[in-house]
This record gives sequence, C-alpha cells and structure tokens, in this order.
Amino acid sequence: MTRVRRWVDDALWGPETASRLLIVYAGLSALIGLRIALGSYRQLSDTPPALVDPVPILGWLERMPSAEVIVGIQIVGALAALAAVLRRRPRLAFAVAWLCYLVLAGLRGSRGKVLHNDLLLLWASAPFLLAPVMVDARDRVARRRYGWPIRVAMVITALVYFFAGYHKLRRSGIDWVLGDNMRYLMLWGPSIGEAQWGGLAQWVGEHLWAARASGAFILGLEISFPVVLVVRRLQAWYALAAVFLHVTTWLVLGLDYWAWAATVALLFIDWPAVVRRVRSLARGDLAARDAATLPVPGA
Amino acid sequence: MSAAPPDVDRDAVPRSARWLVGTLLVLLLVPGLVGFDAWPLTGWRLFSLARDETQTLWVLEAVDGGGSPRRVDLEELPLRYRHAEWPMADLPGASTARRQAVCEALLAAVVDVEPATAELRIARDAARLEERDGEWTVVDDLEVVHACQTDDLGGAGA
Repeated sequence: MTRVRRWVDDALWGPETASRLLIVYAGLSALIGLRIALGSYRQLSDTPPALVDPVPILGWLERMPSAEVIVGIQIVGALAALAAVLRRRPRLAFAVAWLCYLVLAGLRGSRGKVLHNDLLLLWASAPFLLAPVMVDARDRVARRRYGWPIRVAMVITALVYFFAGYHKLRRSGIDWVLGDNMRYLMLWGPSIGEAQWGGLAQWVGEHLWAARASGAFILGLEISFPVVLVVRRLQAWYALAAVFLHVTTWLVLGLDYWAWAATVALLFIDWPAVVRRVRSLARGDLAARDAATLPVPGA
Repeated sequence: MSAAPPDVDRDAVPRSARWLVGTLLVLLLVPGLVGFDAWPLTGWRLFSLARDETQTLWVLEAVDGGGSPRRVDLEELPLRYRHAEWPMADLPGASTARRQAVCEALLAAVVDVEPATAELRIARDAARLEERDGEWTVVDDLEVVHACQTDDLGGAGA
C-alpha cells in the first residue's frame, strides 16, 4: 500500500472509540433536533407563490406548504431526533430526523438565495445514516467500524471549509485579503438582518490593518483546514478557530452559523478524551490520562 | 490459510458504508470544484466576491397618493419577505407578467406597514459608500425597474 493510499485509508476509515461515536452521534442528532424545533419555518407558509423559487430537491413545489404541514414535519423530525439521541431504533430515527431537516432547510432556501446555514450539519451528518447500530459503550478499543462515520464527517467538513477558501481565491484572488474587501464587507453590513455588535464591525471597517488581518485569518483557516486530516493534534485548535470565526461573524454580520460552530466542535474535539483528561487532572493522575483508550489491533 | 482474528472480523467497514461515502464525496467534490449550486449540492461560494465601495441593491419605494416616496426596508416586512431581494434581482430579464406578480406580492405586504401606499416601485440601486466628515454614508442612485399600483391588487392583496 502506498503512503498516500494509506493516508487516505486512515483519513476515511480510521479507528475511533465507541464512546466517541456515541457522543458524536447523540450530539449531531441533538443539533438536528434543535434546528428543526427552533427554526422559524412555519412563518414561511404564507410566502406568495411569486416569491417562491424551490431548491432542486423540492422542485415539484409550486408554493410553500401550509403551516400545519410545516409544523407536522417539525414535530416528526424533532421526535425522531430525540429518539436518535436516546438510541431508540437509532438508524430509522436518525434517517427520519435528517430527512425532515433536509426538507425544512430546503423550504427556507426556496426563496431565491442559496443558503448555506444548515448545509454543513446536513452534509457532516450524512455518513451517520449508516453508522453502526450495535455499539458497546464499554468497548475501549478504537475500531474502524466505530471510526468511519466520524472520519468521513471530518473529511467532508475539512473539504467544505477548503472550498469556501478556494472560491474566494478563484473569484477574487489574493485581493480578497490584501484589498479593501473586508473593510467594505464590514461597513456595508449584511444584506439580510443586522450586526449584533455594529460598533465592532465599524471599528474593523475603519482600521484597514484589522480588516486585512481578519481576511487573512478567515482565508488562512479555510484554505488550510484539510491539514487537520494529516496533523491530528491540530484538530481541536482548528475547531476552536472555526467557532471563533462563526461567533464573530454573528457579532459583526448577524449571520446564524451556530450550527456550523457546533458541528465543528463536536467532530474535531475528542470529547471523551477531554472528559478523561479533566478527570485525571482533577485526580492529579497525569499518567492515567491515555489509559482508557487501548491500541488498535493490527493498526 | 489461517482465519482472521475475531477482532479484525468485527472491525470491517461495511460495503454499504463505502458506497455511501463514495457517493457523498462525488456529490461534494464535483460542485465544490466546479462551483455550481443545486441545493443541497453547492459550490460553497460564501462571501467569495470581493466587496468594494459600490454595491447593487434592490429596494422598495412606497409612494403615497400625493406622490411622496418612502423607502421600505425588507426588514420591516414579515420573515417570508426578507429574501425578496433575490427575486427582485431577476426582474430585469423577466416577463411583464412575472414582474407584475412579484411587485403585487410585495405590494400586499408593504400596504400592511404603509397603509397610505398608492404605488410600489421596485428599483435597482447602484449604491456607493462614501466617508463624509468621518461618517460613512450610502449615496443612492435608483433606477425603477417596475411599478405597480394598489388598484392592481383588487381583492388579491387583501
């Protein structure tokens, strides 16, 4: 097996522990449930047909569904997500929740503008449609059959961030960072909604060095994101940087990307390891911090 | 040939998973590299066009019976109208019937927030951001693309 092939094999099918799979699975299910339950979807029901431009997967729709239908999808989707969190018929429950979320997010995007707010969660969750159902939480051996949904979701997420950076370079070149782009992005503000902290947006816009530094941070983070697939110790740092990016985007542009922030944090931080580390630090037992994960047979 | 150890047998990635992942990666990579959108397939072109001091906006002007215009922000309208800038942006190449349908759809909502409205104008605004005395100001340059009257609504907008 060549080195590249071995790396691709590990990036996609590498091992993870059962506990990590269970946490990510429950976390993604909960996120999907929250997006379904809390999203302002039913307000879309009376959208005039002239303003409806269905996304391709809902191309058969001539108008928005009634409020009753939308609320029905929300109830079914939220209950299915709850069942997936509680691992009641998890594969069926997760699939129903994911499909309801896909339809609701599609409805929200059926007004002419391509919306990305829900897409990272939808895409990163897709591998979990076939995630293993029989998972022994007491199994401390990191295994490929537990690891592949997480690893594939990581690859998808890294590619999504990379593409966001790639298209900035492709369409605007390095001027996206070095020109006045970020300055005017801050000063114009969002096309929909408003900044949560207008003063910060204006301050960045009026200080060219801050605008360029922000642009360099965003483009650098996005274009280099796939590095985390090779250098795994950087994963938590990239996750924190992405959370910072989405929180500041909300502050200065008012854009709702919290599903992105939560998805990245869930996937790229090894939460069971964090818990073990915190517990061992609390006990003052540093040597025990990695003892819970046993080596992978044959790896 | 000896049998594989039980642990290795238990650790295989199912064939169905490999097919799913292959399909997902193709559906992610093709639009991602080419840069087209067919939601949920997307090119992920988030904020990819560099901004400058000029920007094309699509705006609504409510004109009362006396001919006085007032700009109506889409944020003043219910949530379902907030993305109307995108249908409005398609109007220059659209048929008269399509323009009228979009205009009347918006007029019905505008009348709710501005009851004295007699006419709604949909305009393209070649806006420019300028700094004057330390303050940032938007200088508008409106070009009306379509207008419709409350008389056009009949019972439909009620």
